Amino acid sequence: MDIGFSPEEMHFREECRDWLHANVPAGKRPLDAADAITFDKAWQRRLFDAGWAGINWPTDYGGRGLSIVQQVIWLEEYAAAHAPWIGANFVGINHGGPTLILNASEEQKAYHLPRILKGEAIWCQGFSEPGAGSDLAGIKTRGRIEGDELVINGSKIWTSFAHVADWQELVLRTEEGSLRHKGLSWVICDMHAPGITVRPIRKMSGQTEFAEVFYDDVRIPLANVVGGLGNGWKVAMSTLSFERGTGFIADQVKQSQEIEELIAAARANGMIKDDRIADQLAQLRAEVAAVRAMTYRNISEVVRTGQPGPEASVIRLFTSELGQRLERMAVLLMGDAIIDFAYGDDNVVGDYLRGFAATIAGGTAQIQRDIIGERLLGLPKSR
Amino acid sequence: MDLTPNDEQIAFQTATADWCRDNMALEGARARPEGLWAEIEAMGWTGMTAPGMDLDHATEALVFAELGRFLAPIGLIATAVASRWFPDVAEGKVALALTVSEPEDLRVLDPAGSCAVLMSEPGGLRLFDLPDSFTDQSGMVHATPHAPTIDLSTLQSRHEWTSSLWTEDDPAPPLHLQLLSAAYAVGCADAARDMAADYARLREQFDRPIGWFQALKHICSDMAVRAAAARSQLYYAACALDENAADAAFHVAAAKRLADQAALDNGRANIQVHGGIGMTDEAAAHLPLKRAHLLQFIAPAARETLLA
Ligand SMILES: Cc1cc2nc3c(=O)[nH]c(=O)nc-3n(C[C@H](O)[C@H](O)[C@H](O)COP(=O)(O)OP(=O)(O)OC[C@H]3O[C@@H](n4cnc5c(N)ncnc54)[C@H](O)[C@@H]3O)c2cc1C
Repeated sequence: MDIGFSPEEMHFREECRDWLHANVPAGKRPLDAADAITFDKAWQRRLFDAGWAGINWPTDYGGRGLSIVQQVIWLEEYAAAHAPWIGANFVGINHGGPTLILNASEEQKAYHLPRILKGEAIWCQGFSEPGAGSDLAGIKTRGRIEGDELVINGSKIWTSFAHVADWQELVLRTEEGSLRHKGLSWVICDMHAPGITVRPIRKMSGQTEFAEVFYDDVRIPLANVVGGLGNGWKVAMSTLSFERGTGFIADQVKQSQEIEELIAAARANGMIKDDRIADQLAQLRAEVAAVRAMTYRNISEVVRTGQPGPEASVIRLFTSELGQRLERMAVLLMGDAIIDFAYGDDNVVGDYLRGFAATIAGGTAQIQRDIIGERLLGLPKSR
Repeated sequence: MDLTPNDEQIAFQTATADWCRDNMALEGARARPEGLWAEIEAMGWTGMTAPGMDLDHATEALVFAELGRFLAPIGLIATAVASRWFPDVAEGKVALALTVSEPEDLRVLDPAGSCAVLMSEPGGLRLFDLPDSFTDQSGMVHATPHAPTIDLSTLQSRHEWTSSLWTEDDPAPPLHLQLLSAAYAVGCADAARDMAADYARLREQFDRPIGWFQALKHICSDMAVRAAAARSQLYYAACALDENAADAAFHVAAAKRLADQAALDNGRANIQVHGGIGMTDEAAAHLPLKRAHLLQFIAPAARETLLA
């Protein structure tokens, strides 16, 4: 075991740092939804042109073909440089693309992967439905096969960035009368296809970042099915493993920035003299260190065995709850300034309110605990 | 960078666990056999990082986490640390004193059969003589009385300060002690987690294993999360110490803080998962809990170090 990096890796880190130093935009990501998307796309394009998109994606599809360790180094430097949040490119980069790399046909990969990397195509995730949240196998949206097309009817909900997306990871029932995990398919859905209606939903923080999506006789070519008709559950699980696993490395890395800022803030306003606050900060700093250690351990496992260990779900749960403790502390350190929060503000309170998603989206904390109990500790399945 | 054990380290880990299972079962912690210490010495765990063996802290921490899982003697931590930093002096078992300042008496843990006692102070380690019995000027022989501690496997005694040797101008020795006690706590947290999960799979109520109930399953999952976070930080801290990293003191302190909490919280949760039998003297569920309470006082993590 060691925590040292090789000379090549250190050199790579220097390169990341230098480029970020010269190129990270000075202003904040715009608040207005349309401007934000333009910003996200332009920034992703800039990353691609400079060779920083898809660091560990295959070179055939526009990636750099480097190691996952280099990907982590990039993310560490990215956070340290206060580079912008990935925004609308989250789904495509963090789990849509990786799912395609693992499961899609040559044509599908050749068409979609470079577009994701270049920021030309925004993706969204159509898994959850009004009646199928934690119980994802309760999906009712259905696709009837007609010739070489699927005719889709139904609805999805909580679809982040649906209102700006070009493509969707759509999981739906393609076998009539099928139950639960059977008869589902994972489909690349064109969000501009006729029959799709998107109704944005406002969050308690004021932003409209997710939406309800309705499908009314939407026609999608059968050629857009990924991983074969009826194999949707398996493909969806690989999507979730990316979403819950490597997709969150950026967040984990960012926490080490956040805790230092909190300690500095508490020193500046004198609240650190309160023993309870000092102790909570000390605790948070130790926990943030453990997140890095867990991430490194998980990455090492990937390098050694080709796949993340079963403890990925442990990291996900620990990080999401720790993120909320950090946001809670940030709010505590603000004192009564929280009262000044206005709907839509993008500040500490905005982050705090949006941060509730960490233990809901991508599988709730309760579902993560089920997974840990059942897969890691071998306890009987409750569901 | 690689935070997974290599093949050699896995071999050490497995051999340790195998030996412990056969010769030092956790359930036996309340009364260890006479000859156990000699066997522990023969296994080489008392001097893994000492001159001659020169293994790294990463390997040692992995092994001590296994030993901690079986509630190995507290004196083993002190002996391993003393043989690294006082190689010419420390021969035989070394007991561990909790940190006190003069003129308070030393509170010595695991004194039975020890020839010296190790104590950590900010910035260094001290090694005192430990006469188990001594003859005063009138010719009377005094034997030091050994009293029990909350941890049934560990006795204690009180001693006055005597002259001592100490390590100077080197931050590493106290960190070594903190690292190994963190490793013990990680093992202790693992032991409680496994005991709880085993029981939750076996014990049935309402016609099903109690682990089927989420209220219990989620207690167990939280035990797994705490143990995993502490173990990962332990690995990182051990590597930081091996590298003489500038932030090694922080990382070792973080490991100790998280491991102490994991040991204590898991120890408590384990009793709850067992229900009534968990509260009995006869069952073993209280053994990790009591060990956890003792470990809180061994090289505790200072808040200032965590915030530095
Ligand atoms: C900000 C945000 C963004 C999102 N983005 C997307 C997206 O882009 N695409 C997408 O498909 N989905 C998205 N989601 C949806 C998300 O995946 C679901 O909200 C989540 O899976 C929970 O489903 P639900 O909301 O229906 O809650 P429910 O499943 O109804 O859960 C309600 C409560 O019951 C608990 N619960 C449910 N079942 C159990 C059980 N078996 N045992 C114990 N407790 C249980 C839950 O933990 C929760 O506390 C997003 C959600 C949020 C908040």
